[in-house]
Amino acid sequence: MASSTGLSLKFSPLSTSFKQNKVRGICNVNSVSLPSRGMRLGSLRLRVSCAAKPETVDKVCSIVRKQLALPKDSPVTGESKFSALGADSLDTVEIVMGLEEEFGISVEEESAQHILTVQDAADLIEKLVEQKSA
Amino acid sequence: MPPQKIEIFKSLEDWAENNILTYLKPVEKCWQPHDFLPDPTSDGFYDRVKELRERAKEIPDDYFVVLVGDMITEEALPTYQTMLNTLDGVQDETGASLTPWAIWTRAWTAEENRHGDLLNKYLYLSGRVDMRQIEKTIQYLIGSGMDPRTENNPYLGFIYTSFQERATFISHGNTARLAKEHGDNNLAQICGNIASDEKRHETAYTKIVEKLFEIDPDATVQTFADMMRKKISMPAHLMYDGRDDNLFDNFSAVAQRLGVYTAKDYADILEFLVNKWKVTEINGLSAEGRKAQDYVCGLAPRIRKLEERAQGRAKQAPKVPFSWIFDRQVQL
Repeated sequence: MASSTGLSLKFSPLSTSFKQNKVRGICNVNSVSLPSRGMRLGSLRLRVSCAAKPETVDKVCSIVRKQLALPKDSPVTGESKFSALGADSLDTVEIVMGLEEEFGISVEEESAQHILTVQDAADLIEKLVEQKSA
Repeated sequence: MPPQKIEIFKSLEDWAENNILTYLKPVEKCWQPHDFLPDPTSDGFYDRVKELRERAKEIPDDYFVVLVGDMITEEALPTYQTMLNTLDGVQDETGASLTPWAIWTRAWTAEENRHGDLLNKYLYLSGRVDMRQIEKTIQYLIGSGMDPRTENNPYLGFIYTSFQERATFISHGNTARLAKEHGDNNLAQICGNIASDEKRHETAYTKIVEKLFEIDPDATVQTFADMMRKKISMPAHLMYDGRDDNLFDNFSAVAQRLGVYTAKDYADILEFLVNKWKVTEINGLSAEGRKAQDYVCGLAPRIRKLEERAQGRAKQAPKVPFSWIFDRQVQL
């Protein structure tokens, strides 16, 4: 039977979206006015990554909705986790591909691993777009 | 699996006897490893061995890495017979049970057994590979077993084996073709005969699943989708040689590069099965069944697109040593 050589067809490790520990980088302090995640004023602990523009978050939401064929009334926000929305590893790779096309960016596998929520994706997109135009 | 599902396989025993056992070849008609190797009882034995080794010298290391990986996979046969006997409703209860399912499993195992034996003897005589490392790898692999996530469910099990037999048919066919290109017609015949066994086995397993689609389409399409979501994991994916923690990945990368077994093949096999089982044409499915049908029917193009993207971004891969060839290095 089974003698094949073989690829287990490894998709990009976005299936690690089940990982609980999120690694958040500290974004450019300069570009942050008021992070949408409720950073305490005066606190030096920049716990939160750069908040992406709402338009970016919206675009990500719509790409995610399309990929997962979610009904119009199902809630998709920045907080939404891909895995909770029903995305499997193939979906998440395709979502990243869709984001790459939409925003004209290229997402490295290592960065893609840390994308767990819509917000993560939007933040990474803005970072990459900024880097591109820099 | 619920008792009524297990009952299905009992009720299919006569059908299996008449439709599946016919794909077994009578032992008297089967080729044996002896037929493709130098005959130790003949006067020309030493010359034949010398010729075999001379032909083998012309075959590059990367080919041998793939052939060895295939041979190791074949030699882990005890694992596969075990796996078949985990499937509810089709087990060989005593080791000599006379149900058609049990007869199939033993006879299939017996046919497959020749594959590992033949490749083992060829590689031993070739002088191109480190047999001790290979033997160690086999011992590790049989010790590790495998879990294809078929969960004692023969629906999952036979879908898995259908996929696998076709995969081995394709990859042995490719090693046969490449052997010919490297000027070794005897090795090409060896691989080609193994490939034609695999093709016959593929036909048998796909016929079982075709019957399941006929009598229980909703459950069968859902298990097809389930198996594909879990992804078809390769039987030797736990392979280890005592040195390389990434042995299977490295071996797969070489197999991919040589075109012996690729991600494209994976998508092609899926598409072949979808067509063979006429999955697009099934009607009267439940909502869950339709979801599964959509998933399975749409999956191959998605995989292809993903693979195109991966190829487009492929960075130059490193060369790595393989203990199977005395730590000589091969391009991934």
